[in-house]
Amino acid sequence: MTSSRFHSFAFAYGTAFAVLYVIALKLDLALFTVYPSLGLILPGTHHSRDVGSPALAFLAPEMYWYGWTATAALGALVFGIVAALLPERWTQRVWPDWQWVVPAFAMIACVYLTLPWFRL
Amino acid sequence: MRTALLIVHGLVAVALLGAISHQALATWAPSRARPNSFFGRFRAVPSASYANAIVVLYAVTALLGGIVYLYFRIDIRPDLERAGEWPALGLFDIKEHFIAIGLALLPAYWVSWRRPRAGDPARTRVALTSILTIIVWWAFLIGHVLNDIRGFGA
Repeated sequence: MTSSRFHSFAFAYGTAFAVLYVIALKLDLALFTVYPSLGLILPGTHHSRDVGSPALAFLAPEMYWYGWTATAALGALVFGIVAALLPERWTQRVWPDWQWVVPAFAMIACVYLTLPWFRL
Repeated sequence: MRTALLIVHGLVAVALLGAISHQALATWAPSRARPNSFFGRFRAVPSASYANAIVVLYAVTALLGGIVYLYFRIDIRPDLERAGEWPALGLFDIKEHFIAIGLALLPAYWVSWRRPRAGDPARTRVALTSILTIIVWWAFLIGHVLNDIRGFGA
């Protein structure tokens, strides 16, 4: 990969990841669910209330962060590869500040989506 | 094993915190003249030379954190939930989200320091460095809050 293509890939990847991570978080789109106490990884998003009592979450806690990250990483990889394949004259016309403005707003969105924790 | 991992995670995080604080300060307020004070010397570093180290340290810290997180979920978090420490858990969730976004920003951050295009504005580099600095400081402080929340000997 040439320097210019990697440049395009890097900027598209970081920006797309931020957007996709917020979407994955909001819509609960984990590529997989991890059950650390069982040493189990199931594809897709699974909640204990889907199959049994919510109290099961204490016995076999599930983790979604890895899955959300994987979802966003996979999607961002597609955007990054497409950006790397585009002609340089096209990618140079994109406002370079998107690459930090979008992640900054994504961070704010993540804080907003976490606010329910502070109302418990 | 998990205690050793947590300690190594913390030590690498300290190195990352130092490196990114040096770079951020040198980026925000570069030292023009010969530095005479501690603050002056702290920011009088060649910022670009820190980029590689910061990328590696961030990736290693995130990887170790990702492993330690498994133990946290099983052994620590249920106790915090039973104790009603919801705000602390919320702060920790924000840390997770920030870490993930920062991890994905590393390629762009590295390119902005090491392989910038001729027309790339300097503010992009400054902004990316600032975002990563905020993430690293937030993660470090909240990590400590969670680590210490149960008190000594608990």
